[in-house]
Amino acid sequence: MNEHRPDMIELSAYFDGELDPVRQRGVAAHLAACPACAAQLDLLRALAADFERLPAATLGFDLAGVIEGRLAAAPRPQPRRDRGWRDLLPVSVGAAASVACGIAMGFALFGGAAAPRIAAMSVFDTMPPGSLCIGLESCYTNGAKR
Amino acid sequence: MECMIPRTDDAEAELVVRAQAGDHRAFALLVGRYQDPVFRFVLRMSGIRDEAMDLTQDTFLKAYRALPAWRPEAHFRTWLFQIAHNATLDVLRRRQRVEFVPFADDEPEGEILAVTDPAPTPEQALADRQRIGMLERALRDLPVEQREVLLLREVEDMSYAEIAVTLGIGEGTVKSRLARARVAALAHYRGHAGENSDE
Repeated sequence: MNEHRPDMIELSAYFDGELDPVRQRGVAAHLAACPACAAQLDLLRALAADFERLPAATLGFDLAGVIEGRLAAAPRPQPRRDRGWRDLLPVSVGAAASVACGIAMGFALFGGAAAPRIAAMSVFDTMPPGSLCIGLESCYTNGAKR
Repeated sequence: MECMIPRTDDAEAELVVRAQAGDHRAFALLVGRYQDPVFRFVLRMSGIRDEAMDLTQDTFLKAYRALPAWRPEAHFRTWLFQIAHNATLDVLRRRQRVEFVPFADDEPEGEILAVTDPAPTPEQALADRQRIGMLERALRDLPVEQREVLLLREVEDMSYAEIAVTLGIGEGTVKSRLARARVAALAHYRGHAGENSDE
């Protein structure tokens, strides 16, 4: 034997003709002198032959006709295109306007930096000072019942 | 090593381009060309005929929707099988029948990959029909990862490069996974031959 013994990965790739030409020749030379490896290769050949004999399953109807009918009712796929900066311009302008509006509203509400922080908090507090609910009258009704 | 994926032939590429432009007839021709190979593959993967029929139809509808993304550099068949493969895995995952075993591709090559002295082979003892039955059982029992790689190679005659693209794995992984799948299939043969001889 003038070549090292191939493992199954190499033998399998040899069988598929997927080794580089030099190694393909090397394995071929080994196989010519090694009955054990040649027998392994025969097993791979037999397995492949069995695959060829597997019953060829067919769909059994014209799927093309079915698909064509469904496609006729479906919208046509739109080709993708790269979005340029011009496409993003309206979005950018909208975002900038939103931020500007937010800042303007903030100043209008709090009167700028002069407004005391505690006053701003009380505006957004869910409960008024004293924990008195200024919501529905039913709150007090329920409380009375309890 | 020659590992180029064959490009879609001109006639087929023209059909795809026409389909991209909204020509349903052109797409129907592509469906006609590939409906049986796709069905054969998903049927062997799923094992349930009705499910395979739905999967085949689903594959082509997904392909149609994805057509704008297809580029002439891609081999249409490989691209289509990639969609079929992903759709099938989704279904198998939903059925929780996929056994995602930790994959042994990176394991040190143990005795399973060493070429052992040939055991008594069953092929001389068994008739063709029995062998086909054994192969079908073997395919059913193999992990999904091994079954798909075997089917793409042995039935669809794909190159390692095509299989790699279809399954989204490296060519080296295809090479080792395929060898393991073959060893596992042959081991099934031996196992079933042993059972039969015990009967």
